[in-house]
Amino acid sequence: MTQDDAGGTEPALRTDRLGRRYGRVWGLRDCTLDVPAGAVAGLVGPNGAGKTTLLEMIIGLLEPTEGEVSIFGETSRAYHAATLARVGYVAQDHPLYRDFSVADMFHLGRAMNPTWDQGLAQERVDALGIPVKRKVKQLSGGQRAQVSLTMALAKRAPLLVLDEPVSSLDPIARQEFTREVTAVAAETGLTVIISSHVVSELERLCDWLIVLSGGHVQLAGPTDDLIAQHRMGFEQLVMTYLSGEAVTR
Amino acid sequence: MIWVSWRQHRSEAFGCLAVLIGLAIYAILVGTSMRAAFGHDGLTPCLARSQGAGCPTGVTAFMNEFGSEVNIAFWSVALIVPGLIGVLVGAPLIARELEYGTWRLAWSQSVPRARWLAVKLAMVTGGLIVLGAAMTAVITWYRAPMDRLTGHLQHNIYDFEGLVPTAYILCAFGFAVLAGLLIRRSIPAMIAAFIPWLAIRLVVEFVFRPHFMTPLTTSHTQLNCGPPNGCGWGISSVPQITGHIGDWVLSVQRGLITYQPADRFWSFQLIEAGIFVALAAASLGTAIWLLHRRAA
Repeated sequence: MTQDDAGGTEPALRTDRLGRRYGRVWGLRDCTLDVPAGAVAGLVGPNGAGKTTLLEMIIGLLEPTEGEVSIFGETSRAYHAATLARVGYVAQDHPLYRDFSVADMFHLGRAMNPTWDQGLAQERVDALGIPVKRKVKQLSGGQRAQVSLTMALAKRAPLLVLDEPVSSLDPIARQEFTREVTAVAAETGLTVIISSHVVSELERLCDWLIVLSGGHVQLAGPTDDLIAQHRMGFEQLVMTYLSGEAVTR
Repeated sequence: MIWVSWRQHRSEAFGCLAVLIGLAIYAILVGTSMRAAFGHDGLTPCLARSQGAGCPTGVTAFMNEFGSEVNIAFWSVALIVPGLIGVLVGAPLIARELEYGTWRLAWSQSVPRARWLAVKLAMVTGGLIVLGAAMTAVITWYRAPMDRLTGHLQHNIYDFEGLVPTAYILCAFGFAVLAGLLIRRSIPAMIAAFIPWLAIRLVVEFVFRPHFMTPLTTSHTQLNCGPPNGCGWGISSVPQITGHIGDWVLSVQRGLITYQPADRFWSFQLIEAGIFVALAAASLGTAIWLLHRRAA
């Protein structure tokens, strides 16, 4: 399944006045966004900006307090199989079962996803040189990140969501992971949403930018257009909007 | 999902199997010698004849050798074992996923979280029922000769036979699963589940069980039991002061004996197992409902 199935005009992701309240505090509010099919969208914001809240609502792991999410035109319903099946997700810190082997993890993926592509999973870890018999706890951080990414890809979902995928990795593993994501996005035309609080690494990766701060969307659009409009570099642009200085502009 | 449940819980299953094998070996060793002694002391014909009242020497010899198998402190401590099994298996079931962050992995696959939990609970509950039934069968087999003298309605015997041991395990398991979801940490969830389990377990045993059914009364004068073993109402009195083996004497006051007759064993077991299974079902149902409804 790719974004072509949806007819091309529908955005890959649309959120409409999306909000989530924790007790009396809003973790995210009034979030309205479109991300077009095939985009690699960077979601930037300081810790506590609401990034994880937004991502969890997108993938159906968290129910919105208000508003809604739709993926390729279909409204998402939190905790429902149909919604969960449409998003591949790599969570922060790449959680995997420590005493499972890589092959066990893939077995789990196959058992829990009707669209699972075992061939894809196998080819990817072979290409990366990760032995499938090895236990997760014996893998390096970089390898774990790759296994997590592989599981998300083998789900064959049209939307891929990566939450802080490189923040726990060393610089070399970071580079490798970023390269891998870029290659996958280019090859498959998959729509990718990738969050980070490290601005520099998103610059190379993203053609779409979303800046989130204080539970609100401060800026969203195609990276090149935003840079041209504001006549400033990527990093400066992000910083300006993160600090809230540019809100009135 | 069945494979996933098995893969995640197989080490617990092997652990339980090891405990069961250990118990079986002990039971075979002691149980065999108990059976031999039972034949030696000529207790079978004596029981048939006189409910044990007519052969005090045989009964005394047997009780002196094996009486500790039913009434030593060990069995009073062993009552916590079903609770320990239940909380050890139950608390990590959800809490471990929350502690290690793997819930984001488990619940973002294409299986909704409530179904993920329901399948796991069905599998693990099934395993615990098999374990409980097997442990009960081993203990019941091992104690069979002793039970012919004591019956199995009294404290420390009743609690390890029939349906209740399995029901105790399930109840502790249900409490622990729910506690794991609410507290989100395995060890505190074990403690938070075990304490109310133990409290309920003891209150049911000592407050409610004696009154599951209206006790019968009888008076001393109807009795036909001679010393040294008869006319007592401790666990090792054969027969009981009521004149029958296995009656559970609740009190003796001014010649009036209040007791539960031995043949109420299965009715009592059904009532008590029903209480604990209902508690287990309520806890597990709440856990599934909460997981279905609320954000983690």
